[in-house]
Amino acid sequence: MVGSPVLLIAIPLLAAFLIPLLGMIWKELVRIIPGLVLAYMMILSASLLYYVLENGPIIEVLAGWRPPIGINLVFSPFTGFLATIMTFLGFIVWLYSYRFKRNVEFEPSKKYFIFLMMLVAGSVGIVLTGDIFNQFVFIEIVGISAYALTAFYTGRNAAEASFKYLLMGSLSASALLIAIAIIYSQLGTLNMADIADNIHLMDPRFKVIAMILFIVGLGIEAEIFPLNGWAPDAYTEAPGPIGAAFAGIVVKAGVYAMVRMVFTLFDVSGAVDFLLIIGLITLIIAETTALRQEQLKRMLAYSSIGQMGLVFVAFGIGTTEGIFAALFLMLNHAIIKPLLFFSGSYLVFNSKDKKISEMNGLGKYMPMTAAFFALGSFAIVGLPPFAGFWSKLSILTAAANEGMLLIIALILMVSVVEIVYYFRVVNRIYFFKFDKVTSVVPHKPRINAVIAMAVLGILILVIGFYPDAVTGVLHQASDDLQNTQQYINNVLSVGQTLTN
Amino acid sequence: MEMIYLIFIIFLGGAVATYLLGKINGVLRDITFLATLIVPAVLFYTQVSIGQTVDFSMSGMNLQWGITDFGYIFAYIVLGLGVLAGIYAVAAMKGKENLGFFYSNYILSIMAMMGILFSRDLVSFFIFWEIMTWSSYLMVVFSGKDVQKVGIKYFIFSAVGAYAMLMAIVTTYSLTGSMMIDSLVTAYPGFDFSMQLLIPILLLIGFGVKSAMMPLHVWASGSYSHAPMAYTAVFSGALSKMGIYGMIIVIVSLVSQIPEGHWFREVIAWLGGITAVGGTLWAVAQDDAKKLLAYSSVAQLGYIIVGVGVGTPLAMLAALFMAVMHGLFKGTLFMAVGAIEKQTGTTNFTEVTGLIRKMPLTFLASLMSIIALAGIPPLGGFIGKWMLYESLVGSDHYMLVIVVFFSSTAAFLYCYKFLFGFFLGQEEPEWAHVKEAPAMMVVPMIIMAIGSFILGVFPGLILNPIDAGLQELGYASTQGRYWEMSMLFNEWGDKVVLQPILYTIIAVFVFFFVFVVAKNFKKTRYVSTKDISSSGEIPKAHENLTFSRGFFQPFLRAVEPLMKHQIDPLYTGFGRGMEAIFDFVRRIYTGNGQTYALYAIIFAVLLLIFKNQLFGL
Repeated sequence: MVGSPVLLIAIPLLAAFLIPLLGMIWKELVRIIPGLVLAYMMILSASLLYYVLENGPIIEVLAGWRPPIGINLVFSPFTGFLATIMTFLGFIVWLYSYRFKRNVEFEPSKKYFIFLMMLVAGSVGIVLTGDIFNQFVFIEIVGISAYALTAFYTGRNAAEASFKYLLMGSLSASALLIAIAIIYSQLGTLNMADIADNIHLMDPRFKVIAMILFIVGLGIEAEIFPLNGWAPDAYTEAPGPIGAAFAGIVVKAGVYAMVRMVFTLFDVSGAVDFLLIIGLITLIIAETTALRQEQLKRMLAYSSIGQMGLVFVAFGIGTTEGIFAALFLMLNHAIIKPLLFFSGSYLVFNSKDKKISEMNGLGKYMPMTAAFFALGSFAIVGLPPFAGFWSKLSILTAAANEGMLLIIALILMVSVVEIVYYFRVVNRIYFFKFDKVTSVVPHKPRINAVIAMAVLGILILVIGFYPDAVTGVLHQASDDLQNTQQYINNVLSVGQTLTN
Repeated sequence: MEMIYLIFIIFLGGAVATYLLGKINGVLRDITFLATLIVPAVLFYTQVSIGQTVDFSMSGMNLQWGITDFGYIFAYIVLGLGVLAGIYAVAAMKGKENLGFFYSNYILSIMAMMGILFSRDLVSFFIFWEIMTWSSYLMVVFSGKDVQKVGIKYFIFSAVGAYAMLMAIVTTYSLTGSMMIDSLVTAYPGFDFSMQLLIPILLLIGFGVKSAMMPLHVWASGSYSHAPMAYTAVFSGALSKMGIYGMIIVIVSLVSQIPEGHWFREVIAWLGGITAVGGTLWAVAQDDAKKLLAYSSVAQLGYIIVGVGVGTPLAMLAALFMAVMHGLFKGTLFMAVGAIEKQTGTTNFTEVTGLIRKMPLTFLASLMSIIALAGIPPLGGFIGKWMLYESLVGSDHYMLVIVVFFSSTAAFLYCYKFLFGFFLGQEEPEWAHVKEAPAMMVVPMIIMAIGSFILGVFPGLILNPIDAGLQELGYASTQGRYWEMSMLFNEWGDKVVLQPILYTIIAVFVFFFVFVVAKNFKKTRYVSTKDISSSGEIPKAHENLTFSRGFFQPFLRAVEPLMKHQIDPLYTGFGRGMEAIFDFVRRIYTGNGQTYALYAIIFAVLLLIFKNQLFGL
């Protein structure tokens, strides 16, 4: 083993507090240190994942308190897989925004990088923790950094978006807190494995209320309809790379919490079907809304919500294949959507309104950025031979094996809508005439941004041409989520060995 | 390394290399482009044998590539047309912007089509199908004209078709546990009746879109005429045949196994017949050569679909023969239009006239292709049509014969319009500067025109492989005596029947040639077309003596009731309606934080109310 999962949370939090001090020594450290920390997290989490795939999950006990009582971290194939995606994306976002608006003063850039690190650390914490109250704390850490980052460009719109996010975030927090309180009052434990072990003892009336409160609270984070009103505004007003971080990191954490709650915590039979229904509604509403958007980032935001809906549909199929498809889609979305946000925010860099109609003919003047955007568009609508195709295919085969023909038809119809709005933008970029008056002034991307985009683009192609590169991990991860009893045993057995 | 992989690696690498070289050096780019087309074609014909397969696994599914006898027929079309149109494209596209992009898309299209023919499993079939769709889409929007209308319309239809196909594919996978086309064919009779209906219908939607079958044809006219002509030759000549390829597999291999398959065939045949009539009528009404040929393609594909639908051995022979012929002559015609567009800058009949002396070789190629298209012996079109009529009569489809006959008679009108509008008529001073197109454009056209002549006289050249392909599909072996199926061929064998006609024609040509030469020995006075003072009239310079506007008004008035009912406005209306609904949905997101908080509370309350139904507690 190369290190402990605790470091994934402790190091960035420590660094976040040290950065202002280090910044006093040399201003550039404010930019460099987060990169080093995120790179370390990425490498650590990847090597832990590699270890875990070979040797089984790592249960890390914090402060020597054994699991049912103390807090523990679970680094299993499933959680490790998500943590690896998140830390990787965190690093990519840092790389992209390293020289992000160099003219930005020292003070804002300090905040930016501190909050970015907290965002990643909190999201990783949500995924790794084995304790619901601890998870709540991490959700709050993510929330606070996300509100701050949304309002990064101080201005009326940013403040308003941030406020909406805050409003919904506090609703989420209250719902979660009440739910946790109900569970604690009934079962006397906050440990996930312990709760899962004893949930059948709980009074069904309390159980269902706790679960509904969980659904509302986590649903706000996971952007399910109708709890996702904050998302388009936040994505639009936050800086471009932060939009990518929201889509790739924060939402993934929300989805994880939701899925963990439904699959592991509660034994309610209808909950999985509920995921399917709510996922379909989210998918349809978000994608149809995206078609009529005028702002690029807003369109991407709705598309991101729609993709999360599709992830829930895949989870809601309930079979191991469905979970596999959902994880595959999460992976692809975590690669593709940041690419779209990265390239998209350079395409409309010099525009005030960030409108799609201002993007005419940019392909000629920003060939590389436009190509990345087109690649992302092709991939996200699921055209072969790019990454998105394989996840779409696996969702459809999973649904077909359960005989859900109507759902297949709905997913495919929505995909047509998705194609229309993405291709309208690609058409504008490439096949419209550049107009000096209405088009955006082209802006050359910085070299580090190009590298960040290229890494994601190459990943899209690699997964597209050779999906087997990732399917092994995904299969283990999906088996891991499906097998609740093993999760309980793993965590609780650590407790026993410590006692003996 | 397996040759099959090598072919695809060359295609893929060539596409990338062409694109990158497009940024550096024009000549290198052109050479790479042509090499990427020609080398795999040569490798394919020399190194790949029928029945040879490669197996591999991807994302947990077993895939298999290999060419069959049946696919080989289409490979002739794809590679032959691909190479010739590629040579043409190098000259035709000279001086345009973004050529690296154009060429690499061209290569990707050809690769995707070959991939479709190679795919023995549904996943790689679908992958190549989609690559073909988006690469052709990028060609349609290449010119930048009407991108959001024509391009998006093409892609929506293609996507609907492809997704219908994808649904059929995943359903098949869940039913048989295998992605192989063969296992679908074997397992098909054992499916539920609802699945037996659903799977072919979904597949036929997919293939019907690409083969421009009514009512899925509305994208065709715009897309065919907006893509660069060098590509449209492939688009209409080869790419649409992929729809026919799939359709034949569905019709012959799947639905024929169940008794109800008969009705499928009838419906498809009639849809083909309607497509033929509609396409022809709309072609007659066009004033733009590109649009005319686009509708004419729709009509010609209609004939092929009729043959596929009828499905007797002779009808299939006719359909496949016409598929090859259509690739040849329609490819040539689109190339000719491209040549005219390059030399004159327009493709409108009402503007360009009298090019016969300026572009004689283009005229010759067009003339031969038009003769083939109209179905006049001795060119290939005649044989296809004859076999189709014979098969229709032989299988008691008398109404369809009338429909097809009406449409192919009406086709003479647009054939005439094409020839007259461009080449004949009065020579306007406006076009006095026009020269013949460059040799690289003319030579492919002439080769293809000669090809349709040769196939008209020696149809056995292509009927042999078609016969082998039909046996691959499960038709009874004819032991090489397939020509006995039609009275067109006589006991001399498959090749010989038309040779008396050939000799007559050659005699006429020789006579004509001698006549022209002899006449030219005399002192000839060349006059302009307006020099008709011998008729007692001296027209002024700008006076218009010929008409090339408003052709066939009485005919069009007569068929107006038929043309009044269009399906395109329905689709457009549907699209608008959907957008309006989406716009309504959009209003859910009011942008007001209080509303969003309210939504959350309402959602929680609804969950609490319906908790018993949702969570069963």
